[in-house]
Amino acid sequence: MKKFFRSLLAKYMLIILMALVLIQGAYLLIAWFALIGQNALEERLEQDTLNPQTIEKQWHKEAKLLENTSIETIEKHFSKWKQLYPDASMFWVNEHGHLAQQLDVKAKLPTKWDSTYTAKFIKERYNGDPFTVISFIGKEENQGFIVFEMERSIFNPPLIQVYEKYGNILLFGVVFIIFSFILVSFLFFRGIRKRLVQLQDAMSIRDVDGLPIQVNMKKQDEIGQLEQNFNQMVEELRSSRIREQKEEQLRRELIANLSHDLRTPLTKIRAQTYSLAKEGLTIEGKQHLKTMEASITNIDRLIENLMSYTLLMSKKYKFEPKEMDIQRFVRESIATWYPVFEKEGFEIDVALEKMEQKYWLIDPIWFERILDNLFQNIIRHAKSGLYVGVKSEVTSEYDAIVVTDHGKGMKNESSEKGARIGLSIVDLMVKNMQLDWEIESDTNGTTIKIKRIKDVIDVNP
Amino acid sequence: MVHILYIEDEKEIGSWVKKDLTERGYQITWLESGENAENYLNTADMLILDVMLPGLDGFSLGKRLKKNRMDLPIIMLSARTSVEDKVEGLSFADDYLTKPFHPDELAARVEVLLRRFQKNDDTIELQHLTIHTKDLQIKNRSTGQEILLTGKQYHLLQYFLRHLNQILTKEQLYEGVWGEPYLEGDKTLMVHIRYLREKIEENPAKPMIIETIRGVGYRVKQ
Repeated sequence: MKKFFRSLLAKYMLIILMALVLIQGAYLLIAWFALIGQNALEERLEQDTLNPQTIEKQWHKEAKLLENTSIETIEKHFSKWKQLYPDASMFWVNEHGHLAQQLDVKAKLPTKWDSTYTAKFIKERYNGDPFTVISFIGKEENQGFIVFEMERSIFNPPLIQVYEKYGNILLFGVVFIIFSFILVSFLFFRGIRKRLVQLQDAMSIRDVDGLPIQVNMKKQDEIGQLEQNFNQMVEELRSSRIREQKEEQLRRELIANLSHDLRTPLTKIRAQTYSLAKEGLTIEGKQHLKTMEASITNIDRLIENLMSYTLLMSKKYKFEPKEMDIQRFVRESIATWYPVFEKEGFEIDVALEKMEQKYWLIDPIWFERILDNLFQNIIRHAKSGLYVGVKSEVTSEYDAIVVTDHGKGMKNESSEKGARIGLSIVDLMVKNMQLDWEIESDTNGTTIKIKRIKDVIDVNP
Repeated sequence: MVHILYIEDEKEIGSWVKKDLTERGYQITWLESGENAENYLNTADMLILDVMLPGLDGFSLGKRLKKNRMDLPIIMLSARTSVEDKVEGLSFADDYLTKPFHPDELAARVEVLLRRFQKNDDTIELQHLTIHTKDLQIKNRSTGQEILLTGKQYHLLQYFLRHLNQILTKEQLYEGVWGEPYLEGDKTLMVHIRYLREKIEENPAKPMIIETIRGVGYRVKQ
């Protein structure tokens, strides 16, 4: 329940409730006012004092009863009526046509009333506003006449009267309530929006490790919960990143240890064969030792390739591409391989032409590995050709490094297997560096092209 | 005599390497761990170090020893072949050789490093020349005369001798000797090599000392 009262939903419901209460309250207030006014009026209506017919009848009746009119009697009569009808005005014109007495008359009345004016006055007031009753005084009707005037709006129903009195206040009140409701709603939603935008900004900030940073939780409402969940997610991401790094570290350690554990005995075997070779052995014995030596080298290479392949397949092989001058790079790689080919009696044909786009985005360690694998394969599997060619090929679409041998071709590989995994590594590495490659192999030899599709250069910049 | 400090915990490998290098004319001190390595540090001309050692590992030991003696060439000898290990090793060591190595390769790398650090005061015999590597005195044995070189020729020959038997590309040579990046089409290096050949080769038209490796670079082979 406590949680509910902290929520935005509760706040919004409170605003709506307040608006409803205010509007309803205003109506109640109006109704109350109306009720008071109506009660007062209804009282008089009940006594028939506010009925035009009753007033007319009564005014005539009392005028008839007036005798020996003097200013005093008329005044007395008027003040009695005034008490009953505070909004009314009255005057008396005597038998000589003189305006003898008046009470609260707003209009300017002539002092002398001739028959023409009197007729005009009667015509004007008949069924007009103000409500007017003209009555002759006394039974003989020879002592002049008295006039009773009152605004017709006095006879209006009470609600109309209240509206006329308090209408403006009511209008302003309603407009004020509506505007305050809009303002409060606006402030409420602006507050929410501001916090959401801040949260969005905070979410887009990245820490040094590339993960989002935690946000400050300000309130306990729905957005606060969102912030809390976000922080929790960041925390989980971070711990999973650490776990991943630990696993990667473990995997590397495992591979390094495995590599060490496999290679140490191999080194020992090599030490033994080397020492044996120094003993006086028969030609056959020496031949066996040579085969052993070759096997040691072969196993070493297989271990290396297997490790690399595992790392590459799980995308854990370190990849740091750089802009490299490819010709220079290939030339330096051949320089290290040259003595090996030379020793085996190979013809070495190097021709690297000038390339316009000689900078390739490659990881030097990866590319060296590719060349090492290709050259190693030539020494192992294409020895019979005694030829290695390293050339460049420049076409309109691509630049390529072409490695050629004159061996018996891939299908007729020499007795030593194991080239496949070496080429699989080449394939993975070439593709990861956004390069392309192709192999052509027949009984006359193998040609491998490592191609880089040229950057499109606008001829008309 | 060149003194090599060799740290290796595997007894079979250790005794084998010690025997082989001793036969090749080096004085070897073989330790099974890095504990007492500091005692031999001042007399050693080179350090051959295994990575997986009991106690302090080869990387930490190598870094510590290199800090004490910057002029000591170090070869890491390891069965750990991952790129990360090689990179870490080469951050302080001068060479990194992976097991199972061939003793000829180890000996060749020892030679290269000793030359690079000029630890051996041997004389090198190249064809008809006898060269004292420390003061770079060049003598023509067929005439008995000393050959004098200009500054750049001297630097160039010295660079070749430090990388004896290695093929050097023209970029490597130019940057190694002139210390500036090589610009495509620059003829300076070729001109200097021609002059150097005229001085040291018996027949500069058919050079025997500075070999041209077509499409790759040059080599001085012993």
